[in-house]
Amino acid sequence: MYLSIVIALARFGGLLSRITKSGSGVMVTGRVILKLIPGAVSTLSAGRSVVLISGTNGKSTTTALIHQALSTKSNTTSNYTGANLFPGIATALAENRAATFAALEVDEMVLPWAIRETKPKVIVLLNLGRDQLDRLSEVRVVAAKWKAALVGLPASCTVLADADDPFVTWAARDWVNVVWFTGGVTGHIDASTCPECGAVLNWTADGTSYSCACGFKKPSPEWILRDGNLSGPNSQRVSVVSGIPGKAAISNAARAIITSSLLGVSTSDSCAAIAKISSVDGRFSTLKIGSTNFRLLLSKNPASWRETLATSSSGPKAVALVVNANTQDGKDTSWLWDVDFSPLRGRTVVVTGDRRLDVSVRLTVNEIEHKVVDNESDAANLLGNCEADLIASYTAFHRLAKGVKR
Amino acid sequence: MTFSIVHLLPELLGTYGDQGNVEILSWRLKERSIDHEVIVVHAGDKVPTKADLYLLGGGEDDAQIAAAEILNHGRALAKAHDGGAHFFAVCAGFQLLGSTFPASGERTVEGLGIVAVETISATPRSVGELISTPTIDVPMLTGFENHGGQTRFLENLQPLGNVSVGIGNSESSKVDGVVTDRVVATYMHGPAFARNPELADWILARKLGELAPINAPIFTALHDERIKNVK
Repeated sequence: MYLSIVIALARFGGLLSRITKSGSGVMVTGRVILKLIPGAVSTLSAGRSVVLISGTNGKSTTTALIHQALSTKSNTTSNYTGANLFPGIATALAENRAATFAALEVDEMVLPWAIRETKPKVIVLLNLGRDQLDRLSEVRVVAAKWKAALVGLPASCTVLADADDPFVTWAARDWVNVVWFTGGVTGHIDASTCPECGAVLNWTADGTSYSCACGFKKPSPEWILRDGNLSGPNSQRVSVVSGIPGKAAISNAARAIITSSLLGVSTSDSCAAIAKISSVDGRFSTLKIGSTNFRLLLSKNPASWRETLATSSSGPKAVALVVNANTQDGKDTSWLWDVDFSPLRGRTVVVTGDRRLDVSVRLTVNEIEHKVVDNESDAANLLGNCEADLIASYTAFHRLAKGVKR
Repeated sequence: MTFSIVHLLPELLGTYGDQGNVEILSWRLKERSIDHEVIVVHAGDKVPTKADLYLLGGGEDDAQIAAAEILNHGRALAKAHDGGAHFFAVCAGFQLLGSTFPASGERTVEGLGIVAVETISATPRSVGELISTPTIDVPMLTGFENHGGQTRFLENLQPLGNVSVGIGNSESSKVDGVVTDRVVATYMHGPAFARNPELADWILARKLGELAPINAPIFTALHDERIKNVK
């Protein structure tokens, strides 16, 4: 009863925040709930099947796909719009108390807390890579926190872990109930040394496997994704279709199919549901600026830039890059040099954003012809009446996804 | 004669984009039609001792220790240094060139002993923009530092710059990096040569003599924008 009153009060606070345009309401609602009932997430998770999704890249998309797949079987709540800290998780659980499933995206550092509070049925560990090193922890620190958090899991919890990523493997490998997945990702720029002992990690020449003299090695995956075909235990075969472009989206769709099958959803139902999603929280949505029709792509760190550049290379010839260095983007732009921009060669490239000069020097040395302009409107003026991709860092992307142009 | 650049252990010493320094050097030499080669040394490869310029970048703790073990083996870099080779080192690479640097669990790891500096751990980490007035004939220096070390000179050495924004070697010394007759080291990522092209040319000129100017105003624009917006 008290919980219901608190939730009603918190939702009113969230509503006020939306009306006064001081916020989206999600954070306010969650903060009020957690302030008045610190253990609310534990109470709100009881009796439900909770799935936690975490990793450096792909959280929102994978969460949205799992939400879609689970919804074919039963009422499901989720926070796939990216509110993945404590209040966002509390709000998602409070907003839909009738839901029997909860698909919760969780920030990497919040995962230990979320595991304790929600007692999940499934945890999906996507990947761990360098990301905004000026404000976030080095990869190894995050992996160690995950490893410690998994120790206390009940045996009924399944961890769906990415065997291609040595840090995910190291974090999950002690857990008794791991389902290993491979999407065919090769190499890892942060895993030159062994997460277990610190010695140089041995990678096969093709980057598909790794091992160390200490005994640490890539586990054999039960679920294997190759060229869109997913194969699993008991000769299961699934053809994965994604409405979202790119190789990473196919992997995330495969993870969603596996996760929902663990919770009783047939693969045919989940496949059909997942294929219908073509955009998550503005990713791959379109925005017209001047006479240019932009497709919006989010890129946050070297791994996601590489993926986005590969996806975009089969898109329109024109491309605009918008790079900022606000707190949420990471204030250090050194990562630009971790990315090979040569997939842009031969395309019409326009650069803008607060740190356009950093990008321009990078592209100059990478021998990519480009033009630098002051803002997106100038980029549109230059590109004219055409289809174009717009690849943006975090703060620029979220502004543009709300339709706010400069 | 081919100018040879050795890029040391990019998989271990490449956390903060410092491998960009190698690309920038190569680009600047190419623009001037100066014949050059880049030799990338991976873990397990033999380290050449006769190259002209050796580059070391930043890295995380385990990687830095692994790099120290590899590079101390056979003392190839000390031989190269004694033979007249030049060095440019950033962050973990800077610490590696010294006598000791810290590791987790209050351990101390032996460095390469090429420069008379030692590094101890420091909290909180030094993270943010770093601007210094150079002690050599180049414009103001700009970079981004991110390290948990405090580096001290063990003898009377010339710093690379006097810090006006950020920390550099240590809060108390108010200097960044070091310059010797054959070594330039710094805590500036960015990478350093992207933001400070004249530092790249200054280091090249020590080996190659006077260099022809390059028409690349975008480098100067980035340098000036960083100095203007960070001050």
